[in-house]
Amino acid sequence: MIKTVKKFKSVKASRLTSTIFSYITLGILSIIWLYPILWILLSAFRVEYRDGNLITTVVGNYIPKGLGLENFRILFENPTGNNPFIQWFINTLIVSLFTFILSTLFTLSVAYVMSKLRFPMRKKFLSIAIILGLFPGFMSMIAIYYILKAISLTGTLYALILVYSAGAGLGFYVAKGFFDIIPNSLMESARLDGATNSQIFTKIVLPLSKPIIIYTALLSFIGPWMDFIFAKVILGTNRQMYTVAVGLYEMMYGEQVSSSQFTVFAAGSVIVAIPIVTLFLSMQKYYVEGVTAGAVKG
Amino acid sequence: MEHTEDRKNKKTSVISRFLSFFQKIGNKILKFFINLYKFFKNGFKKFYARFMDGSIGTKLSHLVMGAGNFYHKQFIKGFIYLALQFGFFFLMITSPMVNNTPIGFKSLGNLITLGTEEGGIIFNPDFTFEIIPTDNSMLMLLFGVVVIGIIAVYIVAHNSSIKSSYKADLDKRNNKKPTNFKQDIKSLLDDRFHVALLTPAMIGILVFTILPTIFMILIAFTNSDKEHVPGQQLIDWVGFLNFSNIFSGTGEISRRFLPVLSWTLVWAFFATFTNYIGGILLALLINKKEVKFKKIWRTVFVITIALPQFVTLLAMRSLLMNQGPVHQMLMNIGILAEGSTFEILQFAADPLTTRIAVILINVWIGVPFTMLMTSGILMNVPSELYEAAQIDGATKRQAFFNITIPYIVFVTTPYLITSFIGNITSFNVIFLLTGGLPRAGGGAIAGETDLLVTWLYKLTIEQNDYNLGSVIAILTFIITASATLISYRRSKSFKEEDAFQ
Amino acid sequence: MKKLLLLLTLVVSVFAIAGCSKSTTENTGTNITTANGTSAPTTTVQAGTIKVWVGAESQAFYTQKLADYKVYYQEQNGVAFPHNFLVEAVDTGSAAGIFLNDTEQGADIFTAAHDNLGRLIAGSSAVMPVLTPALQAQIQNDNPEMFQNVIKGILSDQEFTFAVPYVAQSLVLYYNKAYIDETQVQTWEGILEAATTAGKKALALSGTDGFNNSFVLLAREDGTKETSLRLYEDGILENTFGTGDDTIAKLKWGQDFFTHPNGVVSSSSTAWEVQLQNESTIAFIGGAWHFESAQDSLGNNLGVAVLPKFTITESQAYGEVEAGTVFQSGSFYDTKAFFMKKGSAYQPYLEDILLYLTSKDVQEESFEVANNLPTYKNALDEFAAFQEDTIEIQLAKMQLQMAEFSIPQPFGASSKFNTYYYQKGAPDLILEILENTGGNYSTHAQILQQMQYVETIWKTGVNEKP
Repeated sequence: MIKTVKKFKSVKASRLTSTIFSYITLGILSIIWLYPILWILLSAFRVEYRDGNLITTVVGNYIPKGLGLENFRILFENPTGNNPFIQWFINTLIVSLFTFILSTLFTLSVAYVMSKLRFPMRKKFLSIAIILGLFPGFMSMIAIYYILKAISLTGTLYALILVYSAGAGLGFYVAKGFFDIIPNSLMESARLDGATNSQIFTKIVLPLSKPIIIYTALLSFIGPWMDFIFAKVILGTNRQMYTVAVGLYEMMYGEQVSSSQFTVFAAGSVIVAIPIVTLFLSMQKYYVEGVTAGAVKG
Repeated sequence: MEHTEDRKNKKTSVISRFLSFFQKIGNKILKFFINLYKFFKNGFKKFYARFMDGSIGTKLSHLVMGAGNFYHKQFIKGFIYLALQFGFFFLMITSPMVNNTPIGFKSLGNLITLGTEEGGIIFNPDFTFEIIPTDNSMLMLLFGVVVIGIIAVYIVAHNSSIKSSYKADLDKRNNKKPTNFKQDIKSLLDDRFHVALLTPAMIGILVFTILPTIFMILIAFTNSDKEHVPGQQLIDWVGFLNFSNIFSGTGEISRRFLPVLSWTLVWAFFATFTNYIGGILLALLINKKEVKFKKIWRTVFVITIALPQFVTLLAMRSLLMNQGPVHQMLMNIGILAEGSTFEILQFAADPLTTRIAVILINVWIGVPFTMLMTSGILMNVPSELYEAAQIDGATKRQAFFNITIPYIVFVTTPYLITSFIGNITSFNVIFLLTGGLPRAGGGAIAGETDLLVTWLYKLTIEQNDYNLGSVIAILTFIITASATLISYRRSKSFKEEDAFQ
Repeated sequence: MKKLLLLLTLVVSVFAIAGCSKSTTENTGTNITTANGTSAPTTTVQAGTIKVWVGAESQAFYTQKLADYKVYYQEQNGVAFPHNFLVEAVDTGSAAGIFLNDTEQGADIFTAAHDNLGRLIAGSSAVMPVLTPALQAQIQNDNPEMFQNVIKGILSDQEFTFAVPYVAQSLVLYYNKAYIDETQVQTWEGILEAATTAGKKALALSGTDGFNNSFVLLAREDGTKETSLRLYEDGILENTFGTGDDTIAKLKWGQDFFTHPNGVVSSSSTAWEVQLQNESTIAFIGGAWHFESAQDSLGNNLGVAVLPKFTITESQAYGEVEAGTVFQSGSFYDTKAFFMKKGSAYQPYLEDILLYLTSKDVQEESFEVANNLPTYKNALDEFAAFQEDTIEIQLAKMQLQMAEFSIPQPFGASSKFNTYYYQKGAPDLILEILENTGGNYSTHAQILQQMQYVETIWKTGVNEKP
């Protein structure tokens, strides 16, 4: 009797220490993970002066000596005329909207075809898709530039939309993995009822595939907000056409900058981050499903 | 004595395995050519039989696309085919100028010469001058590839026009009505639905992935570097010179190739495993029963994935610089002496410091991703596994080590391989954090932390040495391709793809 | 499958045809043009847009000036200027880069540093030479001799002037007046002493590229202003010499300075600002483009000075250079110049526009408004703006003083390759000497050997380890 009580107590105690240990570890890790993110936030709102000059460079103190919206004002007022942030934001929005529609269409159709339809050349297409995916993307950048130039599209948003969505058909693996799980019997019974292949796709398979549609759409929507290399090569010197990623990166490390604008860069980053992070967190459930499906299928 | 014998055996077996690998590849290539020969032989036989068997319309189709369709009163189809043929020959014969470079039959000749006109400016004594444009070798190469593609597509299209006419012949013979245009369109939504779905995506892939890839592979066999500016100087074919320079040259590319390659592999290995193990541990921690507010904990880490990397990594870089916030903090709490220097990224005295630093920072970037994935898997562990264990009287701890962990490892093995390949070609972490620095000495472009891809970026975008960049890209491809090949052989999901449907 | 391929052909041919129809209209009439720029063509012309690239800092200024030019043109010619202007901010490095990638994408008039000239005119040239006597005369009369030599090149066996200088720049020393007094700032020894007393680092450099640390290599003997260093003098490849006794002695001194515990710290392009702010470093070498950041960081403590002198010690002396020899740090004195795109549809107008934009008056205004240091050779005496006494004027004056101890960034072009100071990492090899990487360059002999290696790179454009 006494023994069991003791045991019970020690189990409880060990569970308590384990709980405390878990919380402490999680706490420390959270601090590490939030430390750089908070730094961006604090820098965005930092207003420090030195002898009357606003300091926009990086500073050594993590906690700002003064807070305010001065950096956001510079960002929106665009005193030099070279950083039309609002324009960049609108550009990115346009590009990502079109990209996400086109990419999602491409990805889902290829994935569905590869998963559920049987036709000659299917296996060949699968292998070619794998092989093409293995060439480093930067390699083709110059060629893509010349192709776009031959059809007079360099320096335009159309070009970006084309480039971001054209290759989407190759990224069908995750969605294919998802479609593979949908039982064939479901489709066969529909076929017996006289449904055509296109009807099966739109009326039966797509409604069942909400998670993967959202996953694909989410990724293709976010893409244009993050790419600062391809967009720069395609847009060249046309600053009015820049996306936020190119613009902000140029603001920080372009050769243009006479004085580094870290705090303004941070302010821009915060504005870009708010919609993406919100979108991402609200769609997190679907993202996890997609990632899990993708990983398990490889 | 025995020992050395043993080793010898091992050695020879390794060598023989190595040799047999090449033998297998050789066989495959031989087989490919035999198949190719058979393909053409059979194709020609079929072609001949069809020509003899077909109606006049079908016979005429061999010369004029769509003739057979007109013969069978499929007018719309016939028109489309005819327009295609007209368009093709119009393009080929007129060879119109795009960006001052012809595209058409002329492109084929240009593909071989890559341009002959060196160009220049002729100054006349009376203050006038005449500009003779230089042939743009880069565009000639590109258009050459495009035209070969167009010709290939045209041949297939022409063949399909003959086929469609012959099909109508057969339909007639079997007393069926040849299909009309409406029916053709309808079939696109049903038994030819894959064509309708694939076509738009295929065009995109063809123009923006396959064409550029072929183009850049060809660039590796030219002297397209910063001394040969397209439109200013002519570019020429140089054969395998760029490749042999890697192994026998004395320039940067030969000196730095092996170091960069080995660092790339080391990086990919550590980046993969730190993220993998870290992510699983973090997921297990958050998913512990006694931990509350799981969603909030998860969200803290997930923000990293949602934020653009150029923001988070540039923030990291500014945090970690000499005299930056982290350095200040370390001095304030007395870990580092006042007046010390703190260089761990670009200007570190020992490149090893930087390498460890970038791998650790990559943990910050990558662990949340694995954590999310593992969390998803943890929720899906089949409950019958646990039930069986419970019946066997296993404790929770035993169940955890004997069921949960093996299950996760089993399920995520394919992910491990793809993420290893992904890390070989990962760009952002190195580019944004160190830009490849610290310097590697000898005035090399590739620094101590440069990966193959960041080197490729520097060579092409910054240095304009497209041929060298191309060579690096091809070698990177060979490495990732062999890794994929090995992994796909092992993973059953590829072989037994149809099994569980 | 076949329908798919059908569609493909259709799309590809449509693309091709659409593409070609467009480009044929673009290229009419650009091939042959007369260069008689001063008298504009009288026939009516369709209004086009002349694209101009300048640095971001002067974009607003030159937009204004080109509007003024239209008025000026109307006064001169009696007719309105037929074209519009589009001024974009493209910095000098990128502009040349774009031209070397894809000339057609470039602007009609663009700004590049003069040392890009070799690459720009290689082969069949991407830029047009100056042909009108009026502009040639203005370039010759207004610019210092050192710039005259570096804007010329050979095309079709004739020598031409290819660039029109309008902005000069050189490196200066930014320092913290709270730590360094006016006597100390004159010598590196003084600054090092100030740093040692305060327990700080003497000097921050931005990045490791060979521009900011060139002050050692380019230093000249104080009295005679001589150095044995030659870098493509007069644009001739063979006029390159980097292994003189004084070069070795200077580099040995530089090594002792760089490796001193309170010596030099190399920083990333943003870190030096923090180091100045928190006073862990008390001086910085930079150009006019660093001025704002330096002011942000140091506020009223900011001082601007010419790069200091240094004295060779017993252990640094080498060959004919004895201990006690004083050297004045050198610098590159560069010019940003306007170039004209070859084959521009507006060629007949371009030279007249440049004549206006680089005239003495516009240069003076450019200095007042956009803080651009003029290349006009008598600016110091003739410009009213230089008579004031602000820190900006101080900066300009220091740069003009540096000109005496500077050379324009060198380049050379041969028919086979174009070479310049940065060729194949040559400056990195010099930095290895300065930092004494791995202790491999401790002796004069080792330094000499490395400099022979560097010299070969400069002369041949090939980096092959001996």
